[in-house]
Amino acid sequence: MAEEESQFEEFEQIDFLRDRHVRFFQRTLQVLPERYASLETTRLTIIFFALSGLDVLDALDVIDRNTMIEWIYSLQVLPTEDQVNLSRCGFRGSSHIGIPYSTKGPGVLHPYDSGHVAMTYTGLCSLLILGDDLSRVNKQACLAGLRALQLEDGSFYAVPEGSENDIRFIYCAASICYMLDDWSGMDIQKAIEYIRGSLSYDNGFGQGAGRESHGGWTYCAIASLCLMGRLEEALSQRELDRIRRWCIMRQQSGFQGRPNKPVDTCYSFWVGATLELLDVFQYTNFDKNRSFILSTQDRLVGGFAKWPDSHPDPLHAYLGLCGLSLIGEPSLRKVHPALNITQRAFQHVQQLQQTWRDSTGSCSRHLWG
Amino acid sequence: QDTTFLSQEIPPVFLCFRDRKEWADLEPVPQDDGPNPVVKIAYSEKFSDVYDYFRALLKNDERSERAFALTSEAIELNAANYTVWHYRRVLLQALSKDLREEMRYITAIIEEQPKNYQVWHHRRMVVEWLNDPSEELEFIADILSQDAKNYHAWQHRQWVIQEYKLWDDELDFVENLLEEDVRNNSAWNQRHFVISHTSGFSDAMEREIQYCLYQIKKAPNNESAWNYLKGILQPLGLSAQPGLLERVLELKQTHCSPYLLAFLFDCYEDALENSKENVAEEEQQKTLKKALEICQLLAQEDTIRKEYWLFLGRSLKNKHGSSDPSDEPLADDPEPSVPVSEQQEMS
Repeated sequence: MAEEESQFEEFEQIDFLRDRHVRFFQRTLQVLPERYASLETTRLTIIFFALSGLDVLDALDVIDRNTMIEWIYSLQVLPTEDQVNLSRCGFRGSSHIGIPYSTKGPGVLHPYDSGHVAMTYTGLCSLLILGDDLSRVNKQACLAGLRALQLEDGSFYAVPEGSENDIRFIYCAASICYMLDDWSGMDIQKAIEYIRGSLSYDNGFGQGAGRESHGGWTYCAIASLCLMGRLEEALSQRELDRIRRWCIMRQQSGFQGRPNKPVDTCYSFWVGATLELLDVFQYTNFDKNRSFILSTQDRLVGGFAKWPDSHPDPLHAYLGLCGLSLIGEPSLRKVHPALNITQRAFQHVQQLQQTWRDSTGSCSRHLWG
Repeated sequence: QDTTFLSQEIPPVFLCFRDRKEWADLEPVPQDDGPNPVVKIAYSEKFSDVYDYFRALLKNDERSERAFALTSEAIELNAANYTVWHYRRVLLQALSKDLREEMRYITAIIEEQPKNYQVWHHRRMVVEWLNDPSEELEFIADILSQDAKNYHAWQHRQWVIQEYKLWDDELDFVENLLEEDVRNNSAWNQRHFVISHTSGFSDAMEREIQYCLYQIKKAPNNESAWNYLKGILQPLGLSAQPGLLERVLELKQTHCSPYLLAFLFDCYEDALENSKENVAEEEQQKTLKKALEICQLLAQEDTIRKEYWLFLGRSLKNKHGSSDPSDEPLADDPEPSVPVSEQQEMS
């Protein structure tokens, strides 16, 4: 009897509580308490985690799409009448600057209002996840804003006022160009040089040259190259094999971000997706990975935390789901490993881009017969 | 009249900005999330008050002492707001503020919040303006004494050292950290950083190999040490270093680990890839056999990566195997009929 009970307990411990996670993301999208103040300027990334998380759970029906879409568009930094702020366009993380709510242009001139590369990236992703056609996105302005952020060494600032610059923002830039189907937003060659320069002696990628290799930056490097379509041009087969080795050594149960550091749920995605992009994720241990991710599941409030018995947060909740999706958890949608949205949302992107190309084609036919 | 109450100490109460007469000229600007806010953070009255006035100052791009003082309040409530930090920097310059005092300020904030990007970026800006890195190494050492792997701290340290050429004592610093914790991967990375920018690895190679083997003997299951050893030898080729293979094979008897075995595999693979013209086919096949044996061993010893090690063995065999049909097949040859990923899902 006792043995049966404890086996049942074990099953309970490792089952995936889908409905709790849906409610976790629903609550995230509503109101957060003041102790989350540090997330103010990055609220758009939090929306992305919640929306993409609901998409992975196949539960987008619980939200009001149009409400979300309007709110996201209100965060677009649009060109002013005279377009003096073109190099500052993109999306804001939130309304914290105090611009009055508006979903249409022209932009309002404000001495400190500008887009943030990670917000432009997650803003576009979120719109696409919601099925929007990006028709209200000023694409040329976004791309101009993006160009203004790239440095000589190929890396990007986050904001035109200046910030730290590193490989994270190259990934954001590459994602933006990929989604807008327009690579005029960045100098690909320079970005590739920076990425190559970030390859460490131990065959992982650091945040920049000389820096310690890390699962998150390795994802940014490889996913960027994949989005650019330059993986095998930028890295030799030997280098790719070595990078595969660095990544696969990160698995201890779940995955760690750096050698000799504790495992953390989010790396099940960062490292897992990298391994998937490099075609060797199939050689990892799915059971141990799954057990670890589920050990960080919060059975009461839903979501996932970085470690067991810790508080869940939107980032780990989302990436925990993505980690499970990579190993084929039933009931979860597949995730596109480079763009980090569901395959369903990715198909929407592809269809949208086809209509853009078709309409451009038909225009030029009209002009030149 | 009873006026004794006038001499009593009244504890200071936080007065909202909207109630302070020195701020009466400014109209506070609330945050406007429209009719259906998403991920709304429920701020207290105090929080909203400070930031409503911050937004008002920002709109007018006011350059004043009161604005500067308010940025400190805003930072205390949310040190991750990069706009506040940027505005503070504008004010530091516009008002010609004392940058040494700002260094003291940012030091205190980083001590409290050492994993915040904005505070480290701010410190870097102030150091650049002062063109004075003299406090940096000691400050960063202090932060690292609380968390020896803080990525921001290491990044800042590398910037300071490279920008101001402060290489001299860094190798000693790294060695002390490795004495404290030989598994500190950040310290091993720093070691590589220092040497590659100073002496380089040609003359230092033998010394570095010795150092690695010494540390490995003390703590055999240390991936960082093995990654470092492989990393410094990799550019020349693992099989290019005379006597190394033998030393590692010796270590295998007493200080084995999956990292040691993987290193051996890589040595053999390197030998196969870079074999000279005059290396006999027989020699190649012997090396291949040793490599495949290591793969089998790894599949047993490093079980979490079992499928990967077997895959490596198959790949190596496909690449370098002879066409001799009398060759013994690998235990898991040919490829399993059910793809590995399906197997995992079924279990």
